[in-house]
Amino acid sequence: MHSVMQQPFKTAVLILVWGWLLFLVLAPNLLVVGASVMTRDPVSFLSLPLNLDAYRQLFDPLYLEVFLHSLYMAAMTTLVCLLIGYPFAWALSKVGKQRQLILIFLLIVPFWTNSLVRTYALKLILATNGLLNSALMSIGLIDEPLQLLYTEGAVIIGLVYLLLPFMILPLYSVFEDLKQELLLASHDLGAGRFSTFVHVIVPLTLPGVLAGVMLVLLPAMGLFFVPDILGGSRNLLVGNVIKNQFLDARNWPFGAAASIVLTVTMAFLMFAHRLSKRRIGEEGA
Amino acid sequence: MKKLALAGMLAVGLTGCSSEEPQVLNLYNWSEYMPQEVLDRFTEETGIQVVYTTYDSNEAMYARLKLLDDSAAYDLAVPSTYYVSKMRQEDLLLPIDRSKIEGFDNLDPELVNLDIDPENKFSVPYLWGTTGLAVDTADIEGEPVTAWEDLWEDRFDGRVMLTNDMREVFHVGLRVLGYSGNSTNPDEIEAAYEKLSELMPSVRTFNSDAPRMPYLEGETDVGMIWNGEAVMGKDTMESLEYVYPEEGIIAWLDSFVIPKNAKNPEAAHQFISFVLQPEISALISEEIGYATPNLASRDLLPDEVANNRASYPNATDMINAEFQTDIGDDALQVYAKYWEMLKSGR
Amino acid sequence: MTRWLPRTYLTLVYLLLYVPIVVLVVFSFNDSRTGYAWGGLSLRWYESLFNNRAMVNAMWNSLWLALSAATVSTVIGALTALALHRYRFRGKKLLNGMLFVVMMSPEIVLAISLLALFLLVGLQLGYVSLLLAHVTFCLPFVVITVMARLSGFDESLPEAARDLGASDFTMTRTVLIPVIMPALLAGWLLGFTLSLDDVVVSTFVSGPSYEILPLRIYSMVRVGLKPEVNALGTLLLVFSLIMLMLSQWILIRSKR
Repeated sequence: MHSVMQQPFKTAVLILVWGWLLFLVLAPNLLVVGASVMTRDPVSFLSLPLNLDAYRQLFDPLYLEVFLHSLYMAAMTTLVCLLIGYPFAWALSKVGKQRQLILIFLLIVPFWTNSLVRTYALKLILATNGLLNSALMSIGLIDEPLQLLYTEGAVIIGLVYLLLPFMILPLYSVFEDLKQELLLASHDLGAGRFSTFVHVIVPLTLPGVLAGVMLVLLPAMGLFFVPDILGGSRNLLVGNVIKNQFLDARNWPFGAAASIVLTVTMAFLMFAHRLSKRRIGEEGA
Repeated sequence: MKKLALAGMLAVGLTGCSSEEPQVLNLYNWSEYMPQEVLDRFTEETGIQVVYTTYDSNEAMYARLKLLDDSAAYDLAVPSTYYVSKMRQEDLLLPIDRSKIEGFDNLDPELVNLDIDPENKFSVPYLWGTTGLAVDTADIEGEPVTAWEDLWEDRFDGRVMLTNDMREVFHVGLRVLGYSGNSTNPDEIEAAYEKLSELMPSVRTFNSDAPRMPYLEGETDVGMIWNGEAVMGKDTMESLEYVYPEEGIIAWLDSFVIPKNAKNPEAAHQFISFVLQPEISALISEEIGYATPNLASRDLLPDEVANNRASYPNATDMINAEFQTDIGDDALQVYAKYWEMLKSGR
Repeated sequence: MTRWLPRTYLTLVYLLLYVPIVVLVVFSFNDSRTGYAWGGLSLRWYESLFNNRAMVNAMWNSLWLALSAATVSTVIGALTALALHRYRFRGKKLLNGMLFVVMMSPEIVLAISLLALFLLVGLQLGYVSLLLAHVTFCLPFVVITVMARLSGFDESLPEAARDLGASDFTMTRTVLIPVIMPALLAGWLLGFTLSLDDVVVSTFVSGPSYEILPLRIYSMVRVGLKPEVNALGTLLLVFSLIMLMLSQWILIRSKR
């Protein structure tokens, strides 16, 4: 049935893509795992005695605080994105088909614009002499400019601004898929509006929520340029710690261990996402 | 298979395109540390293009040079004192061929032949400067600020800026406690950390890219600044004053060095000679506000530059001043740990 | 339920999303140096942008890099998508999963792992290292775009071609490629934009021999308010808008 000619084509394609992934994804990641169990060396970056010092260092109360603070900011970002994005995606799914296309287009336009430049634009707005303070002062709401720039809040605003579309898009797609009939059925059975929301809508949109959380939480821990520009080089993210360890302090094992924490977080979120999808599948069947 | 071959050819073709350039000098320098005019004139005179890449800390510069190793194409870098000795001892530098350097004798005898590099085999001084207090007098009420210690006062809550430089910030903490700014004693460093973490709630931002900017932008009123940045800042904001703190300023000397993997050391030598011309040295000092070690250029400086105490401190200003020295990798690790804690704390 | 509430909410969020962009564009024509106050209309920042040799050089480098990274990743990504769509083979699930992991990985993780690799094999950091890195993070996006197109594709067409005696390769060339062309273009444009925007990965794998625009912008915005950044941002915005409209136009046209 299969012609002979297809084999070399198929083999060549598979070799190409597997080669690429093995050489540029798998191998490098194994290197990072390897680096994380080696010893810091001031001259050659890494040296031999294998140990878990880097991981122990992660749980040093001092660094733990850095991590928890970064996690806190990423979690806040995700929460804000969810709070804004959930009703947004719902409202979006209610709009007429034609208008929906335009609105989605408008949502991804900022995503196609350079993220550094957009972060910088936020600085113009949040600065002491910036537009927001000038506006608030000119309408007499405040007398003294608010300190907005170089705060934890500024970092979170920046992250939310950059990552919001990543929360909205997966949520929108689950709202689109939500079966209208299912809601009607729930109504017919006498469930109130609130009860419908809690028992039907929330569980059904859970995969979308988790996909959104995954798409927001992970970058929110890594985008090191946001604290650099809006946080006054304070309020560091895990990404800043990793970058500093690799490019300033030259402690590669520790930087590698910190990056593995991110990978593990990702694995955990992916697992939760799969699980939620499977459960929905079972309930639907 | 045709597609594959095409893809392969494309990849090879694309890689082949970026070589074959005219003569280039890769200059790795602090941000805003060389007037564009100097680079342009150098290109005009020699035909060598200057690619100017910047860093904001010695650590970043050093780490990048180590990291890139063989592929580091930087032809010239400008480390501070303590990194010159570190890099020299670690064999990261090319010796400078004095026969190709013109105007070395113009340099201030007090700033050559230092311990960091006896006989200046590997380095040629570029500029020297100090890190002191910046005060926006228009926005400060009450007693004038005269000491590092004053930064801890409640009235500056949320108005303080520090440089994004580990050694300098700890230098301040150590001096306030009466220790040497070059301390290698872990207990003293920890004490400095404790002291500095009391200051942290007041600190708005760390900045070593352009320490004058947070003052000019109105975000901060008082804190650390480099003297050249203070001079440049005063051009746009008259009320920005440079103050020599009672505990003593931090003094440093930045020197040209040629990394051992430089691709064009010839051009690097040419550039050093070019900068050592009295006229060019004077232009640099005038434009960016730091002090030139080139004595022959001092006479060419306009009076308002030569007599500017911020750029050229007098003997009284230098009381208690301390030069930064190399403290070794072990101590640096201790600093690095507390530094990260400090910056991530609230 | 009342209809005005959701609409007001949508409008509000869109306003918030667009205010910074509007500010950027407006201020790029601002004559004032200080950056906050309005000082009259002017094109001086655009002029100073194009008079900056290093900046123009970085622009060309970035365009060239984005062009080549998008092209290479489209070729590899499209072939992969075809293989995933057409063939059964061992490790298919694994391949799918791996592409998904690459897409989800935080950029910084990808960045340091590639840096470690390049240092180990002694690859000089510059154009080649940037290209390899950019193709790697663009790849899954191209695969997904093309797969989406293929999954909606009528299977009878290749069957018919095969019945007529066409080899798989010929069939791919004459039937499949034209069908997936819109997805190829959309994937290419996406890759182009991702490459042009990337800061995180490029910070780690670039060397002094090949300076690119995002890193140039990064060092500019860290120094403080630079009106040139507004001008540059506006140019990039217009550029991406054209690209985006182009890709949407291609997609919509192909559906007809």
